[in-house]
Amino acid sequence: MTRRRVSWTVMLGIGMVALILILAAVAPWLAPFDPLRMAVGPRLAAPQAGFWFGTDEFGRDLFSRVLCGARLSIGIGFVAITIGLVLGGVIGVLAAFSGRWVQALVLRALDVLYSFPDTLIALALVAFLGPGLSNATIAIAISLIPFYARVTFGLAAVERPKPYVEAARLAGVSHSRLLAVHVLPNISQTLIVMGTLGFSSAILSAAGLSFLGLGVQPPAPEWGAILAGGRNYLTKAPWILLCPGLAICLTVLSFNLIGDSWRDLVDPRRRGRS
Amino acid sequence: MLGAIARRLAASAATLIAVIILAGLLIHIVPGDPVTAMMAQSVTATPEVMAEMRRHLGLDLPVWQQVGLYLFHVVQGDLGLTIRGNEPVLTLLIQRLPNTFMLAVSGLGVALAIGLPLGFVAALNRNGLGDSVVMLIAVLGVSIPSFWLGLVLLQVFSLDLGWLPVAGSGWRNMILPALTLGVTYSALVARMTRSTVIEILGEDYVRTARARGLREWQVLSIHVLRPALINIVTVVGLVFAYLMGGQVIIENVFSWNGIGRLAIQAMLQRDYPLIQGFIIVFASSVVLVSVVLDILYRILDPRLSRP
Repeated sequence: MTRRRVSWTVMLGIGMVALILILAAVAPWLAPFDPLRMAVGPRLAAPQAGFWFGTDEFGRDLFSRVLCGARLSIGIGFVAITIGLVLGGVIGVLAAFSGRWVQALVLRALDVLYSFPDTLIALALVAFLGPGLSNATIAIAISLIPFYARVTFGLAAVERPKPYVEAARLAGVSHSRLLAVHVLPNISQTLIVMGTLGFSSAILSAAGLSFLGLGVQPPAPEWGAILAGGRNYLTKAPWILLCPGLAICLTVLSFNLIGDSWRDLVDPRRRGRS
Repeated sequence: MLGAIARRLAASAATLIAVIILAGLLIHIVPGDPVTAMMAQSVTATPEVMAEMRRHLGLDLPVWQQVGLYLFHVVQGDLGLTIRGNEPVLTLLIQRLPNTFMLAVSGLGVALAIGLPLGFVAALNRNGLGDSVVMLIAVLGVSIPSFWLGLVLLQVFSLDLGWLPVAGSGWRNMILPALTLGVTYSALVARMTRSTVIEILGEDYVRTARARGLREWQVLSIHVLRPALINIVTVVGLVFAYLMGGQVIIENVFSWNGIGRLAIQAMLQRDYPLIQGFIIVFASSVVLVSVVLDILYRILDPRLSRP
């Protein structure tokens, strides 16, 4: 990978993410209509002046819905990643600094979980937790733990033999203090960068769950939920599909563009045989 | 070699037992009382019926006994009965498994047909234009939600053009879902192929082959293509697992009568025994495919098949 190519795709990704974040932040003021209000226009109207993305079966403005949906998708992604990163991070650091048997057991368990698609883990959890915004977020967070735990383990294992760890040990620093005060700050920067890698997967999972009716419930303007509603009007109003779908694609793409250059370095999926 | 296969089988069995225990425990993350949640949509839910169901599911026992009993039953092939209709869970799932496998294998075929050549092109043009284009396609590929791609294909080819049927279970109905899955997961295949081929191009034996004065096509076809394809056998298992996971949603988009569609119906109806059964059958399929591929890899790779 050349330095130049990485930089322009990453810059493009950062620019797109910034734009999406700004749009999500100002969505309530920018949206011409209340995303939940029905009959602001004709039903199933094609895209036109005033209703740029058209309207849905209840006469709601799709532009306002897609715009406000950004807050939901990014919000779910952010909360899920924070929980997943913290829990996965704790497991990863603890495993890296524990005995050989514990380490082997944790790694084996993580590898088993990792061989199942994260969307499927989220789906299985939501099936038992019950549908809804908060349960979907928790399920997605848990589904990200194997990935983050694996990444953190890799980072922490590199720190373990370093002189500063031994120095801290010799100075009589307790195990928990060693991990929290000495090791964690050294890997936190990389970890936060890795956090962005989970965004695309979290947003795709959230949209998938809502599309199936197991995530965010209607009438909330979540992108997957809008697609689920539009599915019944494929012949009459194909435009309902277009914009929420493109919104998911662009958001996921921009996070992927940022994360792509790092992904090859850390993704256990691409370790091949080991 | 036999020892390695035996160890692999033992590890797979351990994995499956862990999955069964986890599936058994899942019923305890249901907020509140699982029986109340299950019967919420039922009109016949008298307290007697609910008490009977609680007893039937063993929910009145201590947790470790419940999980032990569940494991005991599952190992004997008894996945319990569905809440709606009292049908054996295993039979329902097995009936639909061929449909799911057929679609998964077709999807995998499409993914390999697209992903392998793209991955090779990218690796051979490393850092060049071909590489950039392929990697950009790959990033785009992993960014498109598969269910949306499926809906768009359905809209264009079935509704607008009328070339393919909208729903049903004939082979013509399989074209669009297989294409959707194939296109989605070809990006993963392309990336894996690329990194494998790049790794092999850096091997000493490739340098030796070049130093021996072999033509470039000879080097590529004998010393790169063959080991690359053997290596890729190992990652195909992972692609297959992810593809089968994505297929759960795709079966719903195309009303394909497989275990994924059944699972989502079960999830919406809170039919817990059926969901647990789905998790176990899904995990078994994934583990089985990966074991078969692992054995195949050991047979194909001459370095491993020698004692």
